[in-house]
Amino acid sequence: MTKAVRITVDGASLLAQEGQSLTAALMMAGVSAIRRSPSGEARGALCAMGSCHECRATVDGVRGVRTCLVPVKEGLRVEREMKLSRLPLEPSPGGDEGGALQVIETGLAVIGAGPAGLAAACAAAELGMKVVIIDESMGPGGRIWSHRHDPPLAARSWLERAREAGVLKLQGYSVFSGRAGILDVARVTDGKRVRIHCQSMVVATGAMERFLPFPGWTLPGVVGAGALQSLIKGGLNIDGRRVLVAGTGPLLLAVARLAKESGAEVILAEQSSLADRSSLAIPLLLSPSRWKPARQLLKALGGIERYSSSWVTEARGGPGLKEVVLRTPAGDRVMEVEGLAIGYGLIPETRVAVGLGCDLEPTGAVRVDSLQQSSIAGIYCAGEPTGIAGCEAAIDEGLVAGIAAAGKTPKAGLLARVRRHRFWGQALEDAHPLREDLGKLACDSEILCRCEDVTVGDVSEISSIREARLIHRVGMGPCQGRICESAALCQSLSGSDTIRPPWTVVPGENQDISSAQ
Amino acid sequence: MDRHHVIIIGAGIVGVSCAHQLSQRGSRVTLIEAGPGPGVQGATAAGMGHIVVNDGDPDLLKLCLRGREMWRQLLEENVGDRGYWNTGTLWLAEDEEQLQSLERARDRLHSAGVESHTVQGAGLFDLEPALNRNLTGGLRIPHDGVVYAPKVTARLLSQATEVESRFGTRVTRVGDGVVTLEDGTEMKADAVVIASGVSLLENLDGEQDSRWKKILKILPREGHLAITARGTGILRHHVVEAGYQKGAHGVVEEAIACAILPRPTDQLCLGSSRRPGRAGAVDPGVMKKVIDRCERFVPGVRRLPILRTWTGARAATVDGKPLIGPVPGWNRTWLAGGFEGLGITQAPAAAELLAQRIHAETCTLDAGPWDPGRMPVLSAGGRSD
Repeated sequence: MTKAVRITVDGASLLAQEGQSLTAALMMAGVSAIRRSPSGEARGALCAMGSCHECRATVDGVRGVRTCLVPVKEGLRVEREMKLSRLPLEPSPGGDEGGALQVIETGLAVIGAGPAGLAAACAAAELGMKVVIIDESMGPGGRIWSHRHDPPLAARSWLERAREAGVLKLQGYSVFSGRAGILDVARVTDGKRVRIHCQSMVVATGAMERFLPFPGWTLPGVVGAGALQSLIKGGLNIDGRRVLVAGTGPLLLAVARLAKESGAEVILAEQSSLADRSSLAIPLLLSPSRWKPARQLLKALGGIERYSSSWVTEARGGPGLKEVVLRTPAGDRVMEVEGLAIGYGLIPETRVAVGLGCDLEPTGAVRVDSLQQSSIAGIYCAGEPTGIAGCEAAIDEGLVAGIAAAGKTPKAGLLARVRRHRFWGQALEDAHPLREDLGKLACDSEILCRCEDVTVGDVSEISSIREARLIHRVGMGPCQGRICESAALCQSLSGSDTIRPPWTVVPGENQDISSAQ
Repeated sequence: MDRHHVIIIGAGIVGVSCAHQLSQRGSRVTLIEAGPGPGVQGATAAGMGHIVVNDGDPDLLKLCLRGREMWRQLLEENVGDRGYWNTGTLWLAEDEEQLQSLERARDRLHSAGVESHTVQGAGLFDLEPALNRNLTGGLRIPHDGVVYAPKVTARLLSQATEVESRFGTRVTRVGDGVVTLEDGTEMKADAVVIASGVSLLENLDGEQDSRWKKILKILPREGHLAITARGTGILRHHVVEAGYQKGAHGVVEEAIACAILPRPTDQLCLGSSRRPGRAGAVDPGVMKKVIDRCERFVPGVRRLPILRTWTGARAATVDGKPLIGPVPGWNRTWLAGGFEGLGITQAPAAAELLAQRIHAETCTLDAGPWDPGRMPVLSAGGRSD
């Protein structure tokens, strides 16, 4: 099953499991601080899915590698960015002409191998299209189906279908540039470049967690709710640890369940009220397919300490997390915990779509027609980027996109299901309204932009995103604003950032490493 | 009598420098800017922020030198994004011929009293160990530097008194001493200063147009830039290849030249490209050429993670010199623009000159070379697009 291997961290040798996420391996070894921020704060992983770049390190000599996306293997060398040592430069062997670029020609390029991407890839490939699927993470399945050994039951058939239909997988690659017909991708571990020429595309980039700054949110040990899920699946052992899962939305329930099943002592705190969530009763009644999973979930959560209308106002510790303050209807409670997993719902990850030139809805989701086609002909979008609606919606939208990309017409029943999923997604969102207090938790001295250490106070007197970026450097670090822009403070600013390549920060070009492998 | 009132159009580094200089002289200033704040639009936002003395033309050299001197007086030395980062410029020669041309430049700089010296072989790599060992030599201008233009612009404006700023306000017409806003409002002033970069001449409207409109032109020149992650600032100097003058400021239609600027944030800003036109979308092909060109001079640069890329436009003129002075034939509307790639360096000197002329003071520098009225005599030999 798991093979013990040796890796080195800042020159010191430590044991890890082969195939484990490098972030999880580091945390298991007690290394939760992976870098220092510009002002010297110790920082660790936040999102564990490649968005926040807080877990970045120099891995096997490559600067700026997101350790959450790297599977552990024997002999891996990790240098933390605890003091910003300067990289000794070695010339690229390609000289100033650059090395030869690997080019892949395909019919359909699918970006993201979660439920939507896999369904799209299967549908199109089974209709005879040549399909390439590109995904950043360690294995296919997206966040919801991420796995280290056996894929979850729901994912298995899709993975088998993709294999049988001959879908080519580029696993561990980020899409960082492109336009209709062309995508440029880079391997997350070493920056190897590949160019993909395609006739059409399906953008299935999923969602990100919303993070709202609060005092102490930058302490190593404070991670996203979905991040805890990914870390556990990536090999983080939390057996016997006391963990608070807090924030809002249905994801918390799944995370709490997984944490409990992994042996943790789980506390669950949901900020919305029971009254808010009761609005789900009717949509749930109308959706019989969800009854059984809902029952199972509630049963699995039995016996854990639960709070409603409650939210975290502060995390304390130093250097690691020690305790949190939970505001409950019965007053503030100080809890000693070893981990805090906190997320305020999901937001569509639209950067690739916007980079490609696709229009957005006023809600921030990618605008698509009933065949999931975006405002650009031949570019389809499926799943969470078109609006948060969950796994079933993602699968069905992926099928529609894949079928349409292959030039066929999806069946009416499938299209009707997509419409019903949208209704359910909206109902879920309506049942978890964010309370206004959450936007005001962070005082002026609290960090807003984690990459550049910009505080809330720094940007208190400006009105536009442009000023935040250019004058105060909010979002000018490697996360490119992904984390800070969901904060209410940034939401209140006018304008928006222009998405330009690189759409995701990837390691620099490293042609020689690629040719050696 | 009312206070002397000036309307300035454009809150980039030039417009704000003018506001600073004019308010120091007792003028009441209204600053009008289409963007949401000072220093976040146009070349101020997009430029590298290098402060360089350009030896190509004796007049331009004087303007650069005065600009550099003023920046060093205005800002503290080496205090992050707020200050004047004294990097020095290191011009790089790939062969003997380029080195000789740098030696000639050094001699010209010496005769103008500018500290500079050439280095060869090991001397070059002692200064910058990261440079390509095949380089022949370089010219070091130690007092050149870097400012972070958006922040410095915002700071300069916050220090100016008697300035009323109107952001998010668009100007649709400028006459002699009169400005019309998008909403139809007409504003009059004792003086109007246009400092709107590549849009400098767009809204001018007057009887005497025809004579100078053919000659007075702003030629936008697009450039591409990229910035690396922190912890990658492996250079101390702003390093520029000797061919940059030709590539980035010269007559070549489309050019790529290595210009790498270390930022106080321990990042490298990588440039540069130049082609006719306004700032458009980032062209990955051009961006790759820029980074490959940088790789030629600083091997390994291509392996650094790039955080962002962007484009900007330099506002060039027909004769390669800025326009600082009154619109020809008018006496209340003034121009401050056309600085091409040297606007950040020259901004305070240009603002000082313009403020001195508006207030009829003795000018620190000769006003003649920059007067927009110079243009007709040059039209025969000038270049145009």
